[in-house]
Amino acid sequence: MANTNEVEPKSVGARDTLLTQKRESLGQDAFRRLMRNHAAVVGGVIIIILILLALLAPWIAIKPFSEQVLVDQNKVPKWLVSVFPSLEPYAVYSNDYPLGADYVGRDLFSRIIYGSRVSLTVALIGPLISIIIGVIYGSISGYFGGWVDNIMMRIVDVLYAFPSLLFIILLMAFFRSPISDIQPGTFAYSIKELDESLGGMFFIFIGIGLTAWETMARLTRGQVISIREKEFVEAARTIGASNARIMFRHILPNIVGPLVVAETLAIPGYISTEAFLSFIGLGVNPPTPSWGSMIADGAKAIRTYPNQAIFPALALAITMFAFNFLGDGLRDALDPRLRGTQ
Amino acid sequence: MGRFIVRRLLYMLAVILVVSVITFLLMHAVPGGPFTREKSLPEETIKILEKRYHLDQPLYVQYTSYLYAVFIPHFTTTPPNAALSSQDDFLLNVKIGSLWIRWMNFGPSYRSRGRTVNDIFRDNLPISAQLGVMSLIISILIGMPLGVMAALKQNTMLDYLGMGIAILGVSVPVIVLGPIFVWVFGITLKWLPPTGWAAKPPFFLGFLPSNLNWEFFQHALMPSFALGLGSSAVIARLTRASLLQTIREDYIRTARAKGLQERVIIVRHAMKNSMIPVVTILGPLFAALVTGTFVTELIFGIPGMGKYFVTSITNRDYPVIMGTILLYAVFLVLANLIVDIMYAYLDPRIRYD
Amino acid sequence: MRKMFILLSLLVVFSMALSACGGAAAPAPSKVLTTNFLSGDVPTLDPAVAEDTSSIQIAQETFGGVTHLNEVTNAVEPGLATSWDVVDNADGSQTITFHLRNDVPWVRWNGTKVEKVQNCDGKDRMVTAGDIAYGIYRNQAPANASPYAYLLGFVLKGASDFNNGKSTDFASVGVKAVDDQTLEMIFMSQVTYNVQLAGLWVAYAQPKWVIEGDCSGKVVAAGEKWIEPANFQGYGPFTLKEWVHDDYISIVKNPFWPGSEAIPQPKLDEVVFKMLDEPAQLAEYEAGKADHVSSVPQSDIDRIKADPALSKEFAISPQLCTYYYGFNTKASVVDDVRVRRALSMAVDRQSLIDNVAKGEQEPAQWFARPGLAGAPTIETHPDLGIKYDPEAAKAELKSYLDEKGVTADSLELTLLFNTSAGHQAIAETIQQMWKDTLGVTVKLTNQEAAVFWDTIKGKDTPQIYRAGWCLDYPDANNFVREVLAVNGSQNPADEKGEPTGGFNWKNEKFEELVAKAATEADLAKRVELYAQAEQIAMVDDVIMIPIYWYTNLDMTKPYVTRTYSSSGHEAFEKWDILPH
Repeated sequence: MANTNEVEPKSVGARDTLLTQKRESLGQDAFRRLMRNHAAVVGGVIIIILILLALLAPWIAIKPFSEQVLVDQNKVPKWLVSVFPSLEPYAVYSNDYPLGADYVGRDLFSRIIYGSRVSLTVALIGPLISIIIGVIYGSISGYFGGWVDNIMMRIVDVLYAFPSLLFIILLMAFFRSPISDIQPGTFAYSIKELDESLGGMFFIFIGIGLTAWETMARLTRGQVISIREKEFVEAARTIGASNARIMFRHILPNIVGPLVVAETLAIPGYISTEAFLSFIGLGVNPPTPSWGSMIADGAKAIRTYPNQAIFPALALAITMFAFNFLGDGLRDALDPRLRGTQ
Repeated sequence: MGRFIVRRLLYMLAVILVVSVITFLLMHAVPGGPFTREKSLPEETIKILEKRYHLDQPLYVQYTSYLYAVFIPHFTTTPPNAALSSQDDFLLNVKIGSLWIRWMNFGPSYRSRGRTVNDIFRDNLPISAQLGVMSLIISILIGMPLGVMAALKQNTMLDYLGMGIAILGVSVPVIVLGPIFVWVFGITLKWLPPTGWAAKPPFFLGFLPSNLNWEFFQHALMPSFALGLGSSAVIARLTRASLLQTIREDYIRTARAKGLQERVIIVRHAMKNSMIPVVTILGPLFAALVTGTFVTELIFGIPGMGKYFVTSITNRDYPVIMGTILLYAVFLVLANLIVDIMYAYLDPRIRYD
Repeated sequence: MRKMFILLSLLVVFSMALSACGGAAAPAPSKVLTTNFLSGDVPTLDPAVAEDTSSIQIAQETFGGVTHLNEVTNAVEPGLATSWDVVDNADGSQTITFHLRNDVPWVRWNGTKVEKVQNCDGKDRMVTAGDIAYGIYRNQAPANASPYAYLLGFVLKGASDFNNGKSTDFASVGVKAVDDQTLEMIFMSQVTYNVQLAGLWVAYAQPKWVIEGDCSGKVVAAGEKWIEPANFQGYGPFTLKEWVHDDYISIVKNPFWPGSEAIPQPKLDEVVFKMLDEPAQLAEYEAGKADHVSSVPQSDIDRIKADPALSKEFAISPQLCTYYYGFNTKASVVDDVRVRRALSMAVDRQSLIDNVAKGEQEPAQWFARPGLAGAPTIETHPDLGIKYDPEAAKAELKSYLDEKGVTADSLELTLLFNTSAGHQAIAETIQQMWKDTLGVTVKLTNQEAAVFWDTIKGKDTPQIYRAGWCLDYPDANNFVREVLAVNGSQNPADEKGEPTGGFNWKNEKFEELVAKAATEADLAKRVELYAQAEQIAMVDDVIMIPIYWYTNLDMTKPYVTRTYSSSGHEAFEKWDILPH
């Protein structure tokens, strides 16, 4: 995961330096312990597979994601009826579609494969934004405390209470309108182009970015506050360590556990933000598939064709499991107090 | 502590003001207006409508008169007569002698004639709050035991099982979970009513259900579960992570060395300190539960506030947008204030002054 | 761990206890029909400012106009007026005198039952011509800013000036209560649908004493809150009982409604409208908690049709609306009529209906849906308008491509629709049809409604855009003229009458035909005039692609007897619940 590099310190906190003799770097140690956690390894493998699926989608998917065969709409493969017997009376069978076809006759399987691109991008971009901005912001605020903390947290309060949905709608209304006030060569035009080239994902990133880092900043601050008064921080301060050194070498490694957990837990949030935006019609541009939009579309038909919502939801759930188990493993591995333990 | 709270409340006012300016400017910048219709209205009608709602005035005048109506208490001798005009409905009306102190007029709703934003607050907000509280209770009831169990039995089957359940809860979006609940418990098994909310205005003390009976819980169970399940996973995993960290602290070791009972160690020493990150998340979580009920309310047909967060924007119902977003801001800021107070209580080393 | 176990067992007990008390609802003591509106509060019950289907539905049941439109045939029937005299004046205007019945009292729900309302002298208040004139006054008064003021504004003498504030004297408006039972209205032209318009919700009687107060302060003015259940007074076959905002509205039988052939006394005691999203409506219905569901989600149609019980309760009935794609006839590429014709002829409407829309809608060949007064029908005009014809479509496009020396895939076309899953499915399907038949790739974009409706009428109207039209009143004029003609709803123009957006279209012959059709008294001649106008708009100039004529899909429990409305508003006074 992206954040291992972010928080990987070169040496360990003062307290741990006293406790341990080996001078193995925390990174190596963490990796060794991570590999011993089976659930985390499985999670990691699943994520690698997912990334491969997303990259190799054109070769794995059996049909282009936008190909419609209208007469095949809502067709289901035979085996599905044994899973959902309620389909029996009205299902039209076709084994050309491994998971069935959607409401306009597009292959669900291929769309799920392609959909992994949007969902994985969202799952990676969200943490990236929140970690880069949130952790730095939160630790500065928490570490310095006093008026710095006050001002920084009030800014977060404003942004947190900020109507991000309104903002997304505004941006989309402006950039997505075919009204051609936007001239080629301008900044606005390049944003429009960027959004189109991303299949409409750009504003989803903005939407997630607007809210994601603030939670992280808040959590980091809380953690830093609870740790900055600990003895080993005091000790480092007494021996004249710089603020930056104390923050990055002593405090951050100690709070990384809850942060990683919170971030892996936030990933479903990002993906469901995407699903929510799709639900209210502000998701990716059709016909680009995303799990969120597929779930939102399929959920309307959930009683009639449960496969149309459940398979993308399953793909989503598997991804969540993988991220969560990996996150858990990372948490255990990165906790300096568990260092050297089995 | 008292000074701290007062200071934070003053900050809150500042935050609200900033949010109100941003929202006001944003919503007027968004293309499309409140009177855009599928069957377009003649220009004359739109002019009349704009005049009625003072939308023909310059923006700064509109904004300042909004601030005046909402934030400045009005002292008057005329009693409130909400019936006469939807533009004269204040949230707070206090009578002292013959003098009326009236405060917070959030304005009319453009979409619902004769209804005000305050009406929406009075009728719909309590329902969302009830749903939010129920969901939070459910998520704590599920999340905390799961997290504690997983932490105490780290790396055993129980740990994996507990966390598995938690992840499942957060992985299945309400959009899917909700209709499945309705389908299974509402239609097939007929155990619970498929839609609706049993409590309706007028509410006890203005926000509590006046009928806290079986009927209420019957209606509340499915939506609160669907809404709370995601949050329970967040709580479970944070509890686990935090407790794992705490039980390795020196003072816990000391407590063990003293030969204290494991139960006492966990409950009295470890739990309290491991609650800090969990509490951090509870505030925003509660605010999110109360305000983020859009999908749940739609699926379960609950007449709450949630849909106004979305429909007010799509309808360009300016006063409702302002009202809901200010409400959202107040909720979040208050929630965070409570978090900070809880910090101080849970960790005596933290002092605010 | 033990606590966890206790908690789990508690949950199990809890759920079992719930299952035990579920389904123990008391049997309904009277004939209460539960149906639904869409999610979201009914915006108002005030007929003067009502603009959406649900508001008008309630207004129609709790009030009523001088005339009444049959919900099935859309024929004009007597309402409050038993008869009327139409006099054509020499100046081209028309005076209609309505003779009202004298036996309709104002009523209210007093918390336990429906009772008559008394005036200051203690006598029953009856509905008078003055009450109707007052209703029209409120609809036109600038202070009320009624969105539908223009319905009467277009036809009623002086109404528009009064509404715009050019005149402040209501006496200048062509409506007068001659006496309690005689209402005189003066219309600006001698068009056939004046009588229809006079009976619409914008001209319902309203209780001045409730709104403005009366009896020297004994009846307190309720102002805009007069439509809340505590204040509400009406006179129609039902009256308002409860309105829990965002949740439900219930109306009860008005025993004092005298009843007539057109509007009988209701057989139901109460009708409850729950405000629910489509899937939630269906869930309520299937759980047996609703007797009628007003719309059926398209995604559930397959299952319902295959279900032995549900399929019998499912009904499809015509609805007077048209779904279409409009062209900006001055935008690049589609400024050539051959491209427009090719695009229109390449849409396989039947396949779209069978596979995507699924509601047994009718493939549209022209704009004014059959069933409207004056509109041609498929039976009388089978070959009118435009049809699916892939070969002809290819030929039209080829002629264009050859002339311009370009290829089909180089054409840049954009279709704009307002954000919605249903519109998207249709757009994706038609996009594919164009690609398969013509080889053109049309880009799809969507906008949220609040922006969309302005965009498709503005100066930058996109090449192709989705739209639809439902009746305000059941006459072809409401479609052909009020939408397509210059200054029509989808064809805005400047002061000089030059088009500025929307269809961006002007055809003198078309204007002449629709103006003539409006005043033509002979029905057969009228239909011919509209048929000629449609041929110009659909085939000669192809300003739009008519796609389908709407149907209404709904479900009713087998023990309910009813009529099927085509206007979008049901006549619940004709419904009944049989013993079951």
